[in-house]
Amino acid sequence: MLAYTVRRILVSIPVLIASTFIVFLVVVNAGDPVANFATSRQPPPSKAAVAAFARHIHANEPAVQRYWNWITGVLHGDWGPSVQPNLDIGHDLFTRFRVTVTLVASAMIIALVLAVIFGVFSALRQYSAADYTITFFGFLFLAMPVFWFAVLLKQAGIWFNEQTGSQFLGTIGEKSPYLPVDTTWNEFTDRIGHLVLPTITLALVSFASWTRYTRASMLEVMGSDYVRLARAKGLRRGTVMVRHALRTALIPLATVTALDVAIILGGAVITETIFQWHGMGEMLVQSASTVDVYRTMAWLLLSAVVVIGFNLVADLLYAVLDPRIRYD
Amino acid sequence: MRAQSSALTRGLAIGAGLLLTLAACSSGGGGGGGSTQGGSAGLSSCNTQGKANSCNSGTTKPGGTFTYVLEKNIQQWNIQDTNGNTFENGEALEVVLPQVFVPLPDFSVALNKDLVTSATQTSSSPQTLVYKINPKAAWNDGTPITADDFVYYWRTNDGKDCPPPPASDSTQTKGCLPQSTAGYDRIKSVTGSDGGRTVTVVMAKPFSDWKQLFGAGYPLYPAHIAEKISGAKTGDAAHMTAAQMTQGWQYFQKNPPTKYPTAGPYKMTQWVDNDHATYEPDPKWWGATKPSLQRLIFKVISDATQEPIALRNNEVQGIYPQPEVDLVNQVKSIPNVTYNIGNGLQWEHFDLNLHNPVIGKYTALRQAMFTAISIKDIMAKTVAQFDPSVKQLGNHNFVPGQAGYQDLVSATGQGSGDLTKAKKYLTDAKFTGVGSALKTPDGKAVGPFNCRYTTGNQIRQSECQILQSDLANLGIKVTIKPIGAADLGTVLAGHQYDIIVFAWVASPFPTANAQQNWVTGGGGNYGGYSDKTVDKLIAQAVGTTDQTQAAALLNKADKIMVNAAYVLPLYQKPTFLAVQTRFVNMRNNSTNVGPPYNTAEWGLKK
Repeated sequence: MLAYTVRRILVSIPVLIASTFIVFLVVVNAGDPVANFATSRQPPPSKAAVAAFARHIHANEPAVQRYWNWITGVLHGDWGPSVQPNLDIGHDLFTRFRVTVTLVASAMIIALVLAVIFGVFSALRQYSAADYTITFFGFLFLAMPVFWFAVLLKQAGIWFNEQTGSQFLGTIGEKSPYLPVDTTWNEFTDRIGHLVLPTITLALVSFASWTRYTRASMLEVMGSDYVRLARAKGLRRGTVMVRHALRTALIPLATVTALDVAIILGGAVITETIFQWHGMGEMLVQSASTVDVYRTMAWLLLSAVVVIGFNLVADLLYAVLDPRIRYD
Repeated sequence: MRAQSSALTRGLAIGAGLLLTLAACSSGGGGGGGSTQGGSAGLSSCNTQGKANSCNSGTTKPGGTFTYVLEKNIQQWNIQDTNGNTFENGEALEVVLPQVFVPLPDFSVALNKDLVTSATQTSSSPQTLVYKINPKAAWNDGTPITADDFVYYWRTNDGKDCPPPPASDSTQTKGCLPQSTAGYDRIKSVTGSDGGRTVTVVMAKPFSDWKQLFGAGYPLYPAHIAEKISGAKTGDAAHMTAAQMTQGWQYFQKNPPTKYPTAGPYKMTQWVDNDHATYEPDPKWWGATKPSLQRLIFKVISDATQEPIALRNNEVQGIYPQPEVDLVNQVKSIPNVTYNIGNGLQWEHFDLNLHNPVIGKYTALRQAMFTAISIKDIMAKTVAQFDPSVKQLGNHNFVPGQAGYQDLVSATGQGSGDLTKAKKYLTDAKFTGVGSALKTPDGKAVGPFNCRYTTGNQIRQSECQILQSDLANLGIKVTIKPIGAADLGTVLAGHQYDIIVFAWVASPFPTANAQQNWVTGGGGNYGGYSDKTVDKLIAQAVGTTDQTQAAALLNKADKIMVNAAYVLPLYQKPTFLAVQTRFVNMRNNSTNVGPPYNTAEWGLKK
């Protein structure tokens, strides 16, 4: 498996280079940040300032040279200049990645646990009222636009605060700017209070699709010969379900989860915007809207690495979960 | 294998449904309470004549935290630098740094007597300005504010003593890039007397807007810090080298005011990048008004649509977003919140591109186009939906409320939608196909023209649609072409439009704006307007020491511009301030300094 992993990592390097090069060319030609700088300020900057800005972001250099300088710079820890003054792109990238990981990790853990529980339950009680209810809510959450659901949740959060006379649920940011009584416990509950609503928003969408995967997979496994044999041999139903059926049923879910998480880590754009979490999603939006070439590339590079990494994880999980699969 | 639905499952389903239903109900209506609704008391009187600077006044009591929203992060802390010149930076810095004149909500400027007890023009030839610094004025490390701070300001902003970075410097760190050298490049000398407490400024060339020097949203930085970090002699900014001044300039760019001494009613105690600034009353503050709030917070919320929700949840207590119908309606439904829709210094306008050979050649065509456009219809279908008081703007340099404002546009019929008059312009100028398929006197087709607006801006899209409909009545076909969010600069600088709608920010000091927007080759003159008489009149306005005369000269130039029909002013863009009613003394200052112009007065209502 080690050799397979190393081989996969090596193969991913040319994929990264090709994807970054193509996107670099697209981003460089997506707009003119120098013209934006020259026209978006009041009073308009002097010609010297515009020229200095163009030099600063290397706007006058050929695209291929810029790409080469960028990719070699990244290898040395230099992520290039941003159109935003004083912005250290590397610092910005990893700070935002941490923010997004915090949000996504909590949402995904909740979504995964709930998806397995409800998916299995739904499969075991196929065509029951509970199954129909879970199915109904699954499709409801899948169909609901995130931006609408998130705003609705915020209103529910405010209603909860008003009813309880508290400020427990936060609607903006990761934490409050200050706490009236600054203790570790208060800080902890403040952070949890700010995490609840965006986590629910993100979790419910993933939960909805993952429940369907789990249910379908579980039903398929439960109908298989080896499960019937296990039951025929006198094993208890619970043992068969947990030790034999569930393990096999989780294989497709593991793949889907790994791929979904990779995509969401690139930025839960809408959730982050609505709840004002300054993560990867906001970074992508800001970079694209200001034609910030090097910042966009930094986002892309990290997202690509995450996607490639989680694809590999998904493949490796196959081998872990399914004893029939071996990588040589 | 079927199983009965359990009571627990049913309960969960009903509970979830109830929660969503309750949430949906609570989002729209009154939200309970039924107490003071938006618009009553407080800020609602701000639009009454003469009340702009005194509305929402009240006695304060000690304590409380007020959180105000900044709509953008602050990346660069030198407001005097072209990269740091952002509205949010100005708002954050004016709390802690001093300035000589401060723009007020009624667009006048007031002397900041905490900093200077007087600022007078003592001679007009050569123009001489004398500033008497308040004897108590000092940075909070104990260093007095002196003429040295003024000298440092002047020399870093005149474009000569600390020149821009050379072409070889891609880091932009080897020079100063002031946001504007206007006025500072006309100063001959800045000298101190009375132990540095009297500052005398002698101008090499007169400058009518002298009150914008050393302030008006661009405050002073502590020169002694620049001297210290650059190794220059303390108190000797007059002899700092360009390299030393650059070091100071860079220092103030990179460091928030938590890192150096300040001189305001509050001191900034914390800056969390992309999140918030925390201010606490500065015990060293010498000013007449002591802050009563225990804490002031500026919180970054970059999505305006989330601001009313945060206000309702008491996460913030004051917001200043760009108003839209939905947003205003949301705020109206929040209990115990007062709000004001004011008319700001930003104004919306249609620009014609004179580089287009047909538009540029025929003045009569431009006059007809502007006359056919109904600004009344435009306002009714856009901003008047939430601001019924909005009016057509009649001047290119002044807005109502500013001394010098005259309506020079309405009398010409421009913006009236008077189709008969518009058609007469064309028939008199021998255009053919009027009302069907317009052609120039020499038989060339007029149009189709494009009308461009920034994508996603519903108001501007509607404005282009109404223009399209109005010009169709003249036989001019207009296509509507949105501009990508990041492409406005490219479109303007590259003249990639026939008609474009966007906004300009006027200033309490109009001559500098006029120079940029109307003079041949000016930085904001994207459409290529050029008139020697206008150039001359504006140059005279900038160079006079009499502000009444300067305004008269600008209006004289404006009459020529109106006749040329290059830019059609539409209306002042509304501004919107909403604050909780338990706080007082916040006002809608629609100038470049924003509502935080008077944070020392903000506080809990007694």
